[in-house]
Amino acid sequence: MKRLTLIVVLLLILIGSLGMPERTSAQTKVSPAETIKLDSEMISGLGARSIGPAVMSGRIASIDALVDKGRLTIYVGSAGGGVWKSENGGTTFKAVFDKYNQSIGAVAIDSSNPKTVWVGTGESWVRNSVSVGDGIYKTVDGGDTWQFMGLKDTERFARIVIDPTNSNTVYACATGHLWDANSERGLFKTVDGGKTWQKVLSANDETGCAWVTMDPQEPKILFASLWQFRRTPYSFNSGGPGSGLFKTTDGGATWTKLTKGLPEGDLGRIAVAVSPSRPSVVFAAVEAKRSGLFRSEDGGESWHEMNSGNEVIGRPFYFATLFVDPQNYNRVYKPSTGLAVSDDGGRSFSGIGGGVHSDFHALWINPENPEQIFVGTDGGLYTSLDRGNHWRFIANLPLSQFYHVTYDMEQPYNVYGGLQDNSTWYGPSRAPSGIQNRDWRSVYGGDGFWAFPDPTDPDYVYAEYQGGNLARINKKTLETKDIKPFPGAGEKKLRFNWNAPIALSPTQKGTLYLGAQFLFRSRDHGNSWERISPDLTTNDPNKQKQDQSGGLTVDNSDAEAHTTIYTICESPKNPKIIWVGTDDGNLQITRDGGKTWTNIVGAVPGLPAHTWVSTVEASHFDEGTAYATFDGHAAGDMKTHVYRTTDYGKTWQSLATPDLSGYAHVIREDGVRKDLLFLGTENGLLVSLDGGQQWAQYKGGDFPKVAVRDIAIQPRESDLLVATHGRGIWIVDDITPLRKLTPEILSKEAAFIEERPAAMIIPASEFGFNGDAEFVGRSASENAIITYYQKKRHIFGDLKLEIYDSSGKLISTLDGEKRRGLSRVEWSMRMKPPKVPPAAGLVPNFFSFVGPRVLEGTYTVKMIKGKNTYTTTLTLVSDPRSKHTKEDRLLQYQTALKLYDMLGRLTYTVDAVVDARNQCRQLAGRMPEGSAARQQAETLAASLEALRGRLVATKEGGGITGEEKIREQMGSLYGAVNGFEGRPTQSQLDRMTALGKEFDSMAAEFEATAQKDLPSLNASLEKEKVPGVKVMTRAEWDKKQETK
Amino acid sequence: MRKKTWLIVLILAVFVVPMYAQTVDEIVAKNIQARGGLDKLKKVNTIRVSGRMVVGPGIEAPMVIEQKRPNQMRLEFTIQGMTASQGFDGKSGWSIMPFGGVKDPQPMSEDDRKTIDEQADFDGPLVDYKAKGNKVELLGKEPLEGTDTYKLQVTLKDGSVRTFYLDADSFLEIKQEGKRTIRGTVVEGESLLGDYKEVEGLMMPFSIEAGTKGSPQRQKITIDKVEINPTLDDSRFKMPEVKKEEPKPEDKKAKP
Repeated sequence: MKRLTLIVVLLLILIGSLGMPERTSAQTKVSPAETIKLDSEMISGLGARSIGPAVMSGRIASIDALVDKGRLTIYVGSAGGGVWKSENGGTTFKAVFDKYNQSIGAVAIDSSNPKTVWVGTGESWVRNSVSVGDGIYKTVDGGDTWQFMGLKDTERFARIVIDPTNSNTVYACATGHLWDANSERGLFKTVDGGKTWQKVLSANDETGCAWVTMDPQEPKILFASLWQFRRTPYSFNSGGPGSGLFKTTDGGATWTKLTKGLPEGDLGRIAVAVSPSRPSVVFAAVEAKRSGLFRSEDGGESWHEMNSGNEVIGRPFYFATLFVDPQNYNRVYKPSTGLAVSDDGGRSFSGIGGGVHSDFHALWINPENPEQIFVGTDGGLYTSLDRGNHWRFIANLPLSQFYHVTYDMEQPYNVYGGLQDNSTWYGPSRAPSGIQNRDWRSVYGGDGFWAFPDPTDPDYVYAEYQGGNLARINKKTLETKDIKPFPGAGEKKLRFNWNAPIALSPTQKGTLYLGAQFLFRSRDHGNSWERISPDLTTNDPNKQKQDQSGGLTVDNSDAEAHTTIYTICESPKNPKIIWVGTDDGNLQITRDGGKTWTNIVGAVPGLPAHTWVSTVEASHFDEGTAYATFDGHAAGDMKTHVYRTTDYGKTWQSLATPDLSGYAHVIREDGVRKDLLFLGTENGLLVSLDGGQQWAQYKGGDFPKVAVRDIAIQPRESDLLVATHGRGIWIVDDITPLRKLTPEILSKEAAFIEERPAAMIIPASEFGFNGDAEFVGRSASENAIITYYQKKRHIFGDLKLEIYDSSGKLISTLDGEKRRGLSRVEWSMRMKPPKVPPAAGLVPNFFSFVGPRVLEGTYTVKMIKGKNTYTTTLTLVSDPRSKHTKEDRLLQYQTALKLYDMLGRLTYTVDAVVDARNQCRQLAGRMPEGSAARQQAETLAASLEALRGRLVATKEGGGITGEEKIREQMGSLYGAVNGFEGRPTQSQLDRMTALGKEFDSMAAEFEATAQKDLPSLNASLEKEKVPGVKVMTRAEWDKKQETK
Repeated sequence: MRKKTWLIVLILAVFVVPMYAQTVDEIVAKNIQARGGLDKLKKVNTIRVSGRMVVGPGIEAPMVIEQKRPNQMRLEFTIQGMTASQGFDGKSGWSIMPFGGVKDPQPMSEDDRKTIDEQADFDGPLVDYKAKGNKVELLGKEPLEGTDTYKLQVTLKDGSVRTFYLDADSFLEIKQEGKRTIRGTVVEGESLLGDYKEVEGLMMPFSIEAGTKGSPQRQKITIDKVEINPTLDDSRFKMPEVKKEEPKPEDKKAKP
């Protein structure tokens, strides 16, 4: 198609040159707006920024590492945030898997070929909130590029092992589907580097591989466990006839089921580990009716129960690993809720701890130094240099798994949200030195979900932990008041979802909703609650047996709580209209403030019964309009279900297109442009400009293919806040351009698009040298942003932006961004840097390097794109936090400008002095030795050099001479005035006058020299027929500056 | 010139079918053609590029790059009237960083020398790549920010790898990625090239945006002037001798 366009263009050019220009109109004919296909790259030029946080990080599923030439390379596979690589032992990390599925089950480095790394997608720690994978991947260049290597339908991997003697032989332990049966599960083997796979161990369609371990000395000997398991929205089952522990001695061709000494009956999840230093010793943690830790001393033939304490039997579905010390076969680590270790071959275990997050899923022991350990937990990665007695948190992994995001109205505003096993946090949307770990505060405990700053009192925040445990917390003192409602007398307990919905009324400040099976409303900060609905769920008793959930090991943590309300939305147009969705598939509406309710889910076409309602979003524009997403993944339905109604739910239209993928978590309608919709699915963020007819995947600013759980729009800043479940919070600053991006603009070659007015953020910086080991989130730009759209990438000729002030004076010229679609260019709002004369060193003040920042007001922006010019305006406003009056700011600007001009004059003077001195020196060299002319020239050169030495610092040979002359004094004063955009101090103003006088007298001296001494020298020179010294004029100097 | 390039591209597009079966050599040849052709490139012996660098918000530095065939190079930039310079005479590199009060030239580290050595490759690594010992591989056709490109991976003689993205229509380079090893640690850089203009029959980028991969910080270089075959003496590229008696720093300003 492109090529065709090119041909057309070329033909037109040729025809044009033959004098048939009228034909060119065919080229510029605009195609009908509705046919323009919205694609990713049209919108992704609006970059997103990751603000972390990494302070609590997120769940780690797998770790592998390798010591190579004294440096430690680490790969970390996270539950929802992709693969991260460190080449410096964990000081810094970079994401290497962002374009692919971010749920990682297993990472494995090929020890004989360290640039080859395998990644099995889909986490195997199958908690309620776990994601899904899409196969196995391989890199052969250390993570730069990845190849898909198949096993697409396995959904999740527990482990990958590579034959240390043959890189092409790889075993992949595929756990398989969690929410339904499937056949692509079990232990797979490739002998051709992943081109083909053979399933070498399996049982049935409900059973997958739980672990595999290889004898490090005999790579044909492997132990593997199979596990039968299933999760539903309301239950979990671990265990069944498919489970078992197996051994092969022929590389997987034949397997022996190991039973001697192991528990009888159905087994559950089994962890198994061979001792590297004595492979005949094998350990297994076996889930059974009586779970325990077992040890074999004969290579798995027979087993003995060693221990059955909590440290080794807890939550096998979530913790099923064992690691034996590489040098001591009696030391075995059991990661679990805590981390336990046995130093006596498994007989006794003791918990090791320190300040480390609970829930250990991954562990790596340095084979060359077993004192060094890395662990992966629900709260990120830690390392220990004393076998786990003390830990260092790796504060560089922004893997935070948010469930929701909200905001407040402070300056700058804060974002709030709750995370998987990591409480509720809030942090700023901008900070002078980037958004750092220390900028985040936690306000509660447990697993966090919804959090809302109290709109009636910004010191308070509502937050919750699992099971509807709602509290109102003072942000300053952290005093916490439990405000959960209770059942009435004789009633059964309230049923709250794991992720129980809280909602603020958009129309009534101070009104709060909370969903159990009933909808509750409070108008007094949660002090009392009105029940404003009957049970809105199916109340199906078969889905309320959580006390029996778990299978062999009962696990009733609220994670399977069901038949509960999951989403609540009051109409911004009418407080009597409230929409409610439940986890068991009811979608209810009241139009009378809760007196009567109607279940409208039956009107949703093409939706499987009882599909979880993940969001309902009432329109900002019309009370009968609402949007809903449904998430069927917990029943094995991975489709994207997204709908809209315009008649109070009587009828629904699907907004799904073939471009969508991933089960849907959230839909949000923009509050300004009706047809601008944002959709979050397990596979990322999508944007529609036309009410859901077309969707484009958003990829701006390296936004990964990560699960998007919630979306909010900060209305004052028009910022899009994206809560990811594995990569923290991302902000797309100012979505005004998406509101203005019309089909008409999309059909143009290029066009400016409006932005919000640019605030001139108070210049500020923080001191800090924290090393490289801490994540720093990107702050919002402090520059003015200019946005435009281009139909095609700009390649030939200029693409420049010129900024003019209201008098038409050109202030700045900027290079334009070339990309196709929306582009953003940043302008510092500053004039060119001041002219500063050369001297011994730089003026040590940052603001002496930059020009004065212009005043607030409206500026004209011209885009010169090849032969075309486009014009728009740009409005600059002061920082809303700034307390300076316009008069003071004007005085500051004028003072800075005066000093700026003085520096210019100083530069001219110094340049002219140096130029004259050089001429004198040169001429002196041409005069005969001892001649009067020569002596005159030398004297003059020396006096000019002396003058220079009073104008600028000239002491060479080191940075800290402390020498200050006019240049340094004037430069520092300029910097000080330039860096503070309020009224300059009286001392500064006086100093400017004084410096001006000092400088004027030196400039006068130079002028006097030029008028007095030079003519006499030039007269002597004339006698020798040598042209005299000529002083450079300001006009000549100015001209030189222009050509520079 | 632009029309001419397109005409060539078109002729190639029409007659070389099928398009997708293009070989590395064909793509490299088209890139060279798009730049002005081998003859014109080879007639250039020296070049001087002047412009300005934006190294941070509001911080600009005038700069000049001079190059001489086969691999000599000099870069100068000026901040607060003080000019820093870096040079490479084909064998050894040096730099003068006057901002802290020392204006003597200092020799470059081996890692820096390698970098400038590579940058000094006059025609770039694609021209005569075989003779230079470089390997070029076509990684495929892939979109770059929504624009189709040919992605070429160039493995230089010393083993370091560069990736070139050539615009699929014009065959001009619009992005380059590279890895450098500094003290055993890999640093990944990337640069975007644009605003191509014709200078004496050659297509030159007048806009360059460079930075470390993954970092939002970018250096923007705007070219104002390109001079082909200016007189450049070899001495401009050699490490200046230290004048111990009387340093005259102010004499070392960037020539416009």
